[in-house]
Amino acid sequence: MRNAFSNALVTAAEANDRILLLTGDHGYALFDDFRHRCPGQYINAGIAEQNMIGVAAGLAKSGFHPVVYALSAFVPIRVLEQIKLDICCEELPVLFIGDGAGVVYSTLGVSHQSTEDIAALRAVPQVRILSPGDAHEMKAAMELAFATPAPIYLRMGKSDLGVVHTSPPQLAWGRLLSVRSGSGPLVFIATGSMLNLAVTLAQEWPGSAVWSAPSLKPLEIESVVSACSPHRVVVTLEEHNIIGGLGGAVAEILSQEHPLPVCRIGVPDQYSELCGSYAYLMREHGLDLDSVRVKVQAFTKKHPIT
Amino acid sequence: MSAIPATYASTNLRRTILRMAYSGSTVHIACAFSLVEILAVLYRQHLCLGTGPKDPERDYLILSKGHGVMAQYACLHELGWLNEKHIQGYCTDGTPLKGLSDADVPGLEVNSGSLGHGLSVGVGLAYGALRRGTTQKVYAILGDGECNEGSIWEALLFAAHFKLTNLLVIVDANGFQAMGPTTEVMDTGSLEDKFRAFGFEACTIDGHDENVLNETIGRLMASSFPGPRAIIARTSKGKGVSFMEGRNLWHYSRLTEKNYQDALAELEMVEAGRGGVRL
Repeated sequence: MRNAFSNALVTAAEANDRILLLTGDHGYALFDDFRHRCPGQYINAGIAEQNMIGVAAGLAKSGFHPVVYALSAFVPIRVLEQIKLDICCEELPVLFIGDGAGVVYSTLGVSHQSTEDIAALRAVPQVRILSPGDAHEMKAAMELAFATPAPIYLRMGKSDLGVVHTSPPQLAWGRLLSVRSGSGPLVFIATGSMLNLAVTLAQEWPGSAVWSAPSLKPLEIESVVSACSPHRVVVTLEEHNIIGGLGGAVAEILSQEHPLPVCRIGVPDQYSELCGSYAYLMREHGLDLDSVRVKVQAFTKKHPIT
Repeated sequence: MSAIPATYASTNLRRTILRMAYSGSTVHIACAFSLVEILAVLYRQHLCLGTGPKDPERDYLILSKGHGVMAQYACLHELGWLNEKHIQGYCTDGTPLKGLSDADVPGLEVNSGSLGHGLSVGVGLAYGALRRGTTQKVYAILGDGECNEGSIWEALLFAAHFKLTNLLVIVDANGFQAMGPTTEVMDTGSLEDKFRAFGFEACTIDGHDENVLNETIGRLMASSFPGPRAIIARTSKGKGVSFMEGRNLWHYSRLTEKNYQDALAELEMVEAGRGGVRL
């Protein structure tokens, strides 16, 4: 997925010298290719994220298309106010890349983990949020982002979980993406790193449908309702706090438009307590396959599907 | 456009500020008064505004200390980009001019009010202008209280590192911030020394002396110094009206009919003494 990101970025920047990459002194190996092929379009803004967002605003106002790269723990969380006032209030074309979203930096602790970024940005008017689920979605998401002159946050989470699609899908703002069709009682909607697990888990409930949510904002009412209405229980999956993310967005729509029980799978409202591998922390937060299976089973007992 | 040629006479600008503050029953009069001469000199003698507020080749005036926005509204009124209706209807229901800088207003470049934002945007504009090879200049006005914000120092580092020779930072050093004198709240010491240490060419001047302001801005922008420039403009909060001057209360106070008339009368006297120009 990181290769797909890097390739898409280099391809876009080579074709358009108005694209400038700003990094907050992050991306050590990730940008080797970019620095080699587009050296004049690379700006290391130093370990100073607040200023970096303001500089991106100034560059966007003077005709450039800045891409701001940082860990998602810092952009958007550390600089939420700069994103709101300097970028979004003026609807400036700035693409934010939040890398390491979720608990990717499992051994580094809470400072480098990001499970609140979607919730924080969903309440900021004008910003769009992309959360690709595999390398093919990443390529399509980058192309969609560069074709859209607006504030966009692209959330890049755990990147080595394998692909779900066989080729880059056609993405559209606000639309869920069908991964597996089915008319059974369950529908799974997953975003980012949880897409792969959703596809695996759904096989245990024959006939289940699986959708990916690469566009978290906007998220169209019609798309969510048409994906969910043929089913009796909705399961959402995300590597993000269960408050304010994909599950929250789906529940908000369904509660008004087509009430259905929504089982929100995500990080409970808590911080990572201990150090450990990515797999360890995913277990700690109940996001490994076994834990999610148990949660879905319990939910379907409470809300029978037969 | 305004029927009367813009003079940016300081008494005219202060009178417009008083009219706005009185009709809108608003605060932040004193911090607008302190930067009147700075803005007057910039608008009158230095800013190249081209064909209008959206001219891509214009110079940028960044009011990072957005609390002083009434002083800029007064200049934009003289310039003819704001009209009498804007002034008289200031801060009333459904009107566009807000109590803090808002980039939607033609002539205002940034959203400010939350401090420490504007300078970084200005730095981005300056970097972009150099990159595009234009001769545009960026004038960024900060408050000395605003220099408490860490993002200001991040921006100064960036400006010096990338040698933004087209950037002039002017600190409206009126010596006060919201809760009291800057020396008591958060003493920044010598701002000139700090700017120099960050790689700026810097000097400290009287921020109410228009001749000195004009000469210093011209000299700094013409100098061959290979980095950004800064002026620490020593000013007086509430400058121009005796009962406001140096009194932080006028960061918050609203005008009564009496003190509005008293303030106008003081400006009249100054004007009569100096032969200023009436609106």
